[in-house]
Amino acid sequence: MVSNDVLVIGGGIAGIQAALDLAEMGIQVHMVERLPSIGGKMAQLDKTFPTNDCAI
Amino acid sequence: MEQVAGDVGSFQVKVRKKARYVNENLCTGCGACAEKCPTMVVDVFNAGLGNRKAIYKYFPQGIPSVFTIDATACRQLGQGKKCGVCAKVCQAGAIDYEQKDTTVELDVGAVVLATGYEVFDPSVIPEYGYDRIANVVTALEFERLLSASGPTAGHLDRPSELALEREIEEAQKELKKLQRQVSQLEEKHGKPSSEIVRQFQSGGLGESEDLRKWALLAQDLSALDGRFQSMTHRKASASAARKLAFIQCVGSRDFRFNRFCSSYCCMHSVKEAMIAHEHDNGVSSSIFCMDLRAVGRGFEEYKLRGGKQANIRYVRGRVAEITEDEAQNPVIWYESTVSRQVVHETFDLVVLATACVPSAGTSDLARLLRLELDENGFFKTDPLAPLNTSRPGVFVCGCAQGPMDIPESVAQASSAAARAAEIVAPARQAVG
Amino acid sequence: MAEKIRIGVFVCDCGSNIAGYVDVKELAEYSRTLPNVVYVKENLYTCSESGINEIKAAIRQQNLNRVVVASCTPRTHEPLFRGTCEEAGLNPYLFEMVNIRDQCSWVHMQEREEGTNKAKDLIRMGVAKAALLEPQESIKSEMDPNALVMGGGISGMTAALALANRGYQVFLVEKQAQLGGLLLKLDKLAPSGADAAAFAASQAELVQKHPKIRLMTSTEVREISGYIGHFKVTAASGGNRDQFGVGVIIVATGAQVLKPHGLFGYNGKRVITQLELEDLFRKDAFSAGNVVMIQCAGARIEERKYCSRICCMVALKNAIQIKERSPGTGVRILYRDIQAYGTENEEIYRRAREMGVIFINYDVSNPPKVEEEKVTVAHQLLGRELDLPADLVVLSTPLVAGEDNEAISKLLRVSLDENKFFLEGHVKLKPLDFATDGVYLCGNAHYPATVREAISQALGAASRASIPLAKGVMTVEPIVSTLVDEDACRGCGLCVALCPYGALEIVRTEKGRKVRVIPVACKGCGVCAATCYQHALSINSYTDEQIGEQISACLEAQG
Repeated sequence: MVSNDVLVIGGGIAGIQAALDLAEMGIQVHMVERLPSIGGKMAQLDKTFPTNDCAI
Repeated sequence: MEQVAGDVGSFQVKVRKKARYVNENLCTGCGACAEKCPTMVVDVFNAGLGNRKAIYKYFPQGIPSVFTIDATACRQLGQGKKCGVCAKVCQAGAIDYEQKDTTVELDVGAVVLATGYEVFDPSVIPEYGYDRIANVVTALEFERLLSASGPTAGHLDRPSELALEREIEEAQKELKKLQRQVSQLEEKHGKPSSEIVRQFQSGGLGESEDLRKWALLAQDLSALDGRFQSMTHRKASASAARKLAFIQCVGSRDFRFNRFCSSYCCMHSVKEAMIAHEHDNGVSSSIFCMDLRAVGRGFEEYKLRGGKQANIRYVRGRVAEITEDEAQNPVIWYESTVSRQVVHETFDLVVLATACVPSAGTSDLARLLRLELDENGFFKTDPLAPLNTSRPGVFVCGCAQGPMDIPESVAQASSAAARAAEIVAPARQAVG
Repeated sequence: MAEKIRIGVFVCDCGSNIAGYVDVKELAEYSRTLPNVVYVKENLYTCSESGINEIKAAIRQQNLNRVVVASCTPRTHEPLFRGTCEEAGLNPYLFEMVNIRDQCSWVHMQEREEGTNKAKDLIRMGVAKAALLEPQESIKSEMDPNALVMGGGISGMTAALALANRGYQVFLVEKQAQLGGLLLKLDKLAPSGADAAAFAASQAELVQKHPKIRLMTSTEVREISGYIGHFKVTAASGGNRDQFGVGVIIVATGAQVLKPHGLFGYNGKRVITQLELEDLFRKDAFSAGNVVMIQCAGARIEERKYCSRICCMVALKNAIQIKERSPGTGVRILYRDIQAYGTENEEIYRRAREMGVIFINYDVSNPPKVEEEKVTVAHQLLGRELDLPADLVVLSTPLVAGEDNEAISKLLRVSLDENKFFLEGHVKLKPLDFATDGVYLCGNAHYPATVREAISQALGAASRASIPLAKGVMTVEPIVSTLVDEDACRGCGLCVALCPYGALEIVRTEKGRKVRVIPVACKGCGVCAATCYQHALSINSYTDEQIGEQISACLEAQG
């Protein structure tokens, strides 16, 4: 059986963006993340350059 | 991930959902449980620089906004003791000690790998003394020190001072305990401790076991008090880190560990030096590098701005060794390309720009999905079809395919989405 | 207004998140005293199922016609509460949110009384505004299921194919007669070793054969009007003009190589560019005993500060090519930093070193000098000048922005950076979107990129562009600009010039020149309403009257 769903492994910034793009196209996405929260390394950053915007 | 079968268009995947011991539908994320939880655990999110409770949210803004019990640390779950505090305080009734891991079966047409990376452990580099010298930290640890939500609320306290603070706290507790015991004895016998100690030291205390214990206790107290005084004195004279050094390519471009360049660390160090200077204008930074790779839009300009406005000095060269002086200051030894001599310089704090290495589960996942890895251990891709892995229908984006910065990861994530969509939604909306 | 205003206020404890730091009981009591408030409820969690049900029940039983929730941030919870109102039969835009968590309990953790007082102020302001709220209907607009891709280089071709493979009609417009862009001028690609022209030709064939791609070469885009979902494009080829409609646009117009006139004695013969060296390779006309390459020729200098990202790899690739073709030829690369970032590039760097390419660092304050038969450079480590034999000098020049970028940026109302490359919507989170909806970018048009990066970005831009196409219908929040007083509008066009989203236009009406709002394109930023000296424009749910009432409420002393 052909499935129209996509599995995204990893809930860091890349996984989140891929999942959001797919979901917004109307595609059912399953996201699997090892840790209790998504966000990955970027959530551990304080600010990002060059704008020094908050990372969260 | 436990099992993968099938082929492009129809993969059957088994995933084990780990027990949270908290009902996700009931938990409101209020945090009453963590407030009352009696067990402290070292906080991984804060790069081990602070503590959290055994029931926790990975970070304050974590999504989903529900708590999780760390089963190994939890008194009730991991240590077989009676506790149940969290269940008692939870007004939503969300705590479930009986929750079990469950297996979820998924049917998907395509798979996107976004498993990210791990930070290289610099303790394997003996000459940088990461595990010996308190004031040598990794870039991610430094990021947490800079963060307002981090263990120092963004104040640039040195790890040696943080350790001292913890020691002082413990000493204070112990001091109170001893003081209580000694004053009870003083009250009971109606004599000051000093008299007993004097008698004990001159050997005139007699045979009484009770009095001997008292004398020893009193001696301990005065010794601890002395130590306490000197520690608080040291703490009072301690100041925040102001002279910083950043060492690039720690574990990268180093044939002993990883040959590759980790891509983002040069700009990460520049950014950290900029933010540190923003927090405290007295901060100056030296960035030790082979090449300073500022290759994106605005990067070179940002680097130059750091030099002009944020007291950043870029020093060409590989640092040979880090030692420590008696004031716990790290000392950097390197060959100056200007004077062509080996020189050394003392800093308050040294930040190691550690390599971006494949995440721990990469090779297991590769085996499970039957994917090839490249010579560095990242998922192998084709330069002309950059999201494709060696297996049709499985795509990889972000640092799982090699080190890259945030915008590149985000762009790649969209690209992987496009490739996956071509499989699961071909010619959707084809009516023109 | 005939209907009597009946406001319900819901104060959220958020567990202890709010209730732990401000006096919520007092807030609830206070809310009862406010004008038009007929019902007040304090919830442990207003967003929980029981909280939501309480709001719904109160709307029905108390005949509430306005709802105010004092809790957390509208960024996360406003959609939920609006939905709640709608489910209970109340127009969702008759809802107002007051943020007493971020603005009170979080920032005034140590000041309970002040925090509570501030929360009272905010609730009073919210209630004052709520009384004036009016129902709104969300705006829907059909999408034109077509896409325009500007540029037929590797980025443009990749993006066009990705969209066409999903079934969308693509118009691919290329200025030149041939598809392929910069690839046509290159010899080999690194690290794959693929022949650049052959790779370009294979992609071009896929494009030409694709039934969903309408290819228009030797064509330029002359005019673009409209907005996401409905762009009207005019393209011209020779004397012919063609008009078509598209829903989305991808900018993949590439960049150009700097000709280094006046730099390091460039003459196109003995001192050439990397691109000209590759041309020699392709013609099999390369021959030299000693080659010196100079990096950053025209880049990372005062008049052009940026690093062009890819030139180091081009030099490494070509140095290896020379060593493979003629192992006896000496190759020296004079550089400032070797920008071989990542895994593959560093590997190429290592290979070049292993093959005997010599790297010499130079300082920008003392650049190399090209002379007859030699190049002199101040060697950093040796501390003296070196004479390097050179019968061929190759300059690594940066990519510079395309010559049409300014014209295109005006057509599309999108921004350029200070070097005239196209500027993305957000440097970290929206690298492939423009700030203007429905327009996307990729490849060298954005910033110099390797072929690998350009392909990846092109697929990503196609992914972003396919989102509105897949939705088919745009649904936009009705919090947009509205011409509330047509008579007052003088058609001066000040607002049109300032609108960052191209959401306003001047049209001729029976009453003369008037502004017209394109609601789908409007983001409700309010620049136009703030600018209009005639007060003809207003933002729904943020009218002058509503905001004025809020300010008055703020200035009132607490009862």
